[in-house]
Amino acid sequence: MTMKITMMGISGSPHRHGNTEQLLDTFLAGASDAGADIEKVILSRLDFSSCHGCNACHKTGICVLSDDLTLLYSKILNSVDILVVASPIYSMNMTAELKGFIDRAQFIWSQKFIIKTKSFSDDYIQRHQAYFLSTAGMDSNTVFDAAFPTIQAIFNNLGFSYAGNVLANGLDTHGGIRGHPSALSDAYETGKKAVEKFSIL
Amino acid sequence: MTYTILAFAASPRRHGNSETLLDWVLDAMQKDPLVQTEKIVLAQADIKPCRGCNSCEKTNICAIRDDLDLIYEKIIKADCIILAAPIYCMSICSQAKVLIDRAQLFRSRKYVLHLPVTPPERQGKRLGLFISTAGQKWDYVFDASIPVIKCFFHVIDIKNHDTKYLLINNVDEKGAILSHVDAKKQAEEMAETIISTLMSR
Repeated sequence: MTMKITMMGISGSPHRHGNTEQLLDTFLAGASDAGADIEKVILSRLDFSSCHGCNACHKTGICVLSDDLTLLYSKILNSVDILVVASPIYSMNMTAELKGFIDRAQFIWSQKFIIKTKSFSDDYIQRHQAYFLSTAGMDSNTVFDAAFPTIQAIFNNLGFSYAGNVLANGLDTHGGIRGHPSALSDAYETGKKAVEKFSIL
Repeated sequence: MTYTILAFAASPRRHGNSETLLDWVLDAMQKDPLVQTEKIVLAQADIKPCRGCNSCEKTNICAIRDDLDLIYEKIIKADCIILAAPIYCMSICSQAKVLIDRAQLFRSRKYVLHLPVTPPERQGKRLGLFISTAGQKWDYVFDASIPVIKCFFHVIDIKNHDTKYLLINNVDEKGAILSHVDAKKQAEEMAETIISTLMSR
């Protein structure tokens, strides 16, 4: 009997049960069917403020803010095997909610690079896999590009390998995610394979 | 006639590097008696994130009541809009993204309702300026913010060729900008360029 694989999906969409959350739900369903324990977090329902830029964590390694993100980051760092981050594209990048969550990870960056109390081994990084899910109304092939550097940076910061994306653009033309020819089946399969691949790591 | 400059200081850190750079630009502009400047500090304003409700596509007003009620009008009236934001995790800080996501109202007005954002006689007269600072010294650290900034200025009727950039990397701790070799000079030159361009139109 092996340990249960834990997957956390974080939605940065303010729009409940919209295209992005449906894409995330389908990814999580694929993972659940493959045997993972899943948890979904809706950022817009949490109480948190974004980074204040005070740099106190550069001295202490601890964020001066104490709110719902305190526990969320603790979970991500201690008990999540596969992390899934989902956001629609607003004005050519992820939503402000998701960016607000990401900016708060500065304390981890400080622990790693300034006060040097934290580091992730290569083995740890290989055993922590992360995926980015995104939707966009625009039918442009470059609509997700500006999000990738931030996603890469947050996954690096949290000690997760950037394992893949599920991207669905052109949703204005497709009439939403259910009209997209492949996004939902792609999300289900990628979620399922994420767990199967993790099991043999 | 007078020229109105509307500036947003998006950094959560008061009087840090991006706000100092902004202040240099505004101070230089104010030397001209025909110029009126206003600085809005986003960290002190009540601006909630876009809910993604899309009601502005029908009603032409935002469903949220907060400080943006007045700021939307100021954005339409100003001759030059300045957005100053630091780079956090490879993109503009989330406070800036909150403002930009809320500019969805103008996108709806322009592309869904086909109404003018600015009156015809004002189109092509306005200028935009993006001021940014980054702790990292990579020259590509600002790249992922550019599509977002272009999107913001585009929906408020400021075209790419009317948008200017003042970008200073390798300034991290508070006050680092003060010892930068020529940031202040760049800021003053930018102010002069913008004012003379506005006056020539």
